Amino acid sequence: MTLMENKKIGAGWPRLLLVTVSIAVLMTSAAARAAINGSEGQTFNLYAQEGYVSVSDGGSIYSWGYTNTGTMQLPGPTLIVAEDEPVTITLTNNLPAAAGNVSIVFPGHDVTATGGVAGDLVQEAQNGGTVTYTFTPSEPGTYQYHSGTEPDLQVEMGLYGALIVRPAGHTDLDTTDTATCTKPVIAQGGKAYNHDDSCYDREYLYLLSEIDIHIHQAAEAQASGPGPIVLPAGAYHSEYWLMNGRAGPDSMAADGTDILPYQPYGSLTRMHPGERVLVRVVGAGRELHPFHTHGNHARLLAKDGRMLLTETTNQLAGPLLFTIPSLPGGTADAIFQWTGKDLGWDIYEAGSTVPDPIDTDPTRVRAHNCTDVDGDGYADADADYPWEWCADHDRPIPVTLPSLSSLAFGGFYGGSPYLGAMGSLPPGEGGLNAWAGFAYMWHSHTERELVNNDVFPGGMMTMLIVEAPWVPID
Amino acid sequence: MNLTNYGYAKHVRISGLVAGAILTLCAWLPASAQDSAVYTQCPDTTELHSTGDGIKCKHLSGGDGMVTMADGEPIYIFSFADIPMPEDAIAAGDINELADYPGYVMEQGMLAANAPAPTIEVDEDDELFLTLTNVGMAMRPDLFDAHTVHWHGFPEASSVFDGVPDASIAINMGASLTYYYNVKDAGTYMYHCHVEATEHMQMGMLGNLYVHPRQNKLPDGADLVAAFGDNAANTANGGLTPPSNLAANLPGATSVAHTAGSTYAYNDGDGTTRYDDDYPIQIGSFDKAFHDASYTVQPLPFADMRDTYFMLNGRGYPDTASDVAISDAQPVDSLITADPNQRILLRISNLNVTQFNTLGTNGPPMEVIAMDARLLRADDGTNMYYKTNSVTLGGGQSVDVIIDTSGLASGTTFFLYSTNLEMLANHHDNFGGMMTEIRIN
Repeated sequence: MTLMENKKIGAGWPRLLLVTVSIAVLMTSAAARAAINGSEGQTFNLYAQEGYVSVSDGGSIYSWGYTNTGTMQLPGPTLIVAEDEPVTITLTNNLPAAAGNVSIVFPGHDVTATGGVAGDLVQEAQNGGTVTYTFTPSEPGTYQYHSGTEPDLQVEMGLYGALIVRPAGHTDLDTTDTATCTKPVIAQGGKAYNHDDSCYDREYLYLLSEIDIHIHQAAEAQASGPGPIVLPAGAYHSEYWLMNGRAGPDSMAADGTDILPYQPYGSLTRMHPGERVLVRVVGAGRELHPFHTHGNHARLLAKDGRMLLTETTNQLAGPLLFTIPSLPGGTADAIFQWTGKDLGWDIYEAGSTVPDPIDTDPTRVRAHNCTDVDGDGYADADADYPWEWCADHDRPIPVTLPSLSSLAFGGFYGGSPYLGAMGSLPPGEGGLNAWAGFAYMWHSHTERELVNNDVFPGGMMTMLIVEAPWVPID
Repeated sequence: MNLTNYGYAKHVRISGLVAGAILTLCAWLPASAQDSAVYTQCPDTTELHSTGDGIKCKHLSGGDGMVTMADGEPIYIFSFADIPMPEDAIAAGDINELADYPGYVMEQGMLAANAPAPTIEVDEDDELFLTLTNVGMAMRPDLFDAHTVHWHGFPEASSVFDGVPDASIAINMGASLTYYYNVKDAGTYMYHCHVEATEHMQMGMLGNLYVHPRQNKLPDGADLVAAFGDNAANTANGGLTPPSNLAANLPGATSVAHTAGSTYAYNDGDGTTRYDDDYPIQIGSFDKAFHDASYTVQPLPFADMRDTYFMLNGRGYPDTASDVAISDAQPVDSLITADPNQRILLRISNLNVTQFNTLGTNGPPMEVIAMDARLLRADDGTNMYYKTNSVTLGGGQSVDVIIDTSGLASGTTFFLYSTNLEMLANHHDNFGGMMTEIRIN
């Protein structure tokens, strides 16, 4: 970082203050956050509209998006439907006339279109008109939908969204559902596929896309004209990289935050040790993105809505990945788990002198047991800190950390190496990680995508926060 | 490469040391070594290793330097370098007690940045104490950047040792941070600095890192199937890999004997990852305009980042295939040599920051045995290996491939090369770039 760049950094990170507020809101929200936010049902009325999205360098970008609320949004509503239950989607074309027709394709599904006019790929809605698509999803999984009309322009402009198909008869699971899951799940957990290894405690969506601002500027300049919109000459060259329609650090603000009215979906990920997170990655743009999950590997469960299974024994066959490649038009589902196993030191602090946050007596230190009656190596559910790796119990951290004056601190650093233990930091440091969880960046490992145009940091990134067991997430 | 430019790089290094000495004088006038923020931590014994065997210590500097591209052009980089043990260390006991140890570290570390960063190679069950000393950017005295080490893919990582500056701590100039890793899972990883990642990684703070499996340490004649052949034993050993389904993977076999000295990529339990020789191959690329902007203290072109030097292990062809050291700063070649009837393991990782890359061979197929430091094995024990002539990796991905040289004639040469053909160039010079040779002796 040069002194010259300080100004640019300054343009980006103050937004984190807003994000901090949003996280605080999120943490006090009563809404359950075990499942992905979206629109559930069988019948959807979608409108294609124009509007502006916010990017984290302070700009706003003219875009087109699908909505079912009357307010343009990016990405379109996450449609959550059920296997074997017919789905009807009526699309109304409220785009400016210059945009021409619009449509939706649903890759992976056998769609019947009624109304509208014939297009190259699918029936389309003319300006002001409608078209209706019906299909019955035959396989659960993660899919996407996007415009099938001039997609090089319309998909770039934002006409895309995620489609989640839940297994037939899916209900929220809880800890007693061991009959349907290989491993028990927490309350409001779920099942991604009709397979007992696909159960999860929490699920999150990571829809990846990008913006070439020159195309958006050309569309904006021509939107009030007669059309058709002429794309700028030259090679595609993106400058913004989005996760669920937001550029970092906005990606970490809460779902539905007031500061981002046209980008309702965040991607800040939170979990407790031992929980299994279903990671649904959707490649909605035209570029490939290596999605790197700091913290641990994730087991690839499925690609494009189909599980990766052995042919004869029907067991999981997908690889364990620390970087999930996201392909244009494709989806990937993976299960991520983190326990802190084998770190070689006690993440709850050996001989702790930290006040126990779950005890009202502030003098009590969180000296803790590690009871492992079932012998799986982890502390049992009724131990002080479930999922603690007992082999490392009471083992001190083997190195001395440098003095505070030798260190630079991140906003998501809790001030100590211990889980859930807030440490003292110099004034102005930390503050983005209210419960002092372990924070891990989840991001595109094409690191040039961690910028918003010329401003680092930002772009296609979010954070996973592994919260201490006593921290409420829902 | 040519000698003129090699000389240039050396010249820069020498003048840099002068600058370094001045900086050292300004910044370090410690009353004694103990007061210094520059220090290493390397215990003789630990609870896990009471004899000291299995404790590995490494000391890296984080700073800047110059390297030479295959077209002869010098290019400015940020990276890591090895800080060797001082010669009088043994007598001293604790090297931190040596007179002016911080000055020694600065002198060794400044302007010594390597491309790629020094290779880190450890064994399962090792404890690695990795000290990073930030020696500053001598060519850019206007910079005050912190540095970190991110062990990319370290399983079940703690955030304090994960190296993401936003989520943890980073080390400032003139100070040291010792990272601790309890190494439990074999495989091909990678490491890099995560501070201002787009800039520091484009600038070259990237290195090879891999872990050897404990299966290598079995006694002569031991049965691999018995040692790693059941889930309970494998889990107790810290392994993540299901036991081998011998009926599917090695039809007719009931046991596989280990021969002392045999090396494997993973705890496979069936010997299918055995290799005779292994080569780390790290994909990387530099944008000359970005590096030149950094060198000349200009605003950095993030949005216009476009790589022009395409490399394996910090060199473009033909330097990749030269087993002569380019300079102290580029010690890792990528020349792959083998005898007929050998199994050659390529540990391919990608740490470029701008695009996906495809590496192909024009010769024998590559058998992909692992991705992202994990054996390709289904839950029922079936090996999901596959043979291919190309592998495609984005930044932050790795694969392990084995090339079997059976039946190949002595004296033949094959190429491992980018099939993204525009990457077969060293900036303006065509025929070069991301390519190396596989020579059959």
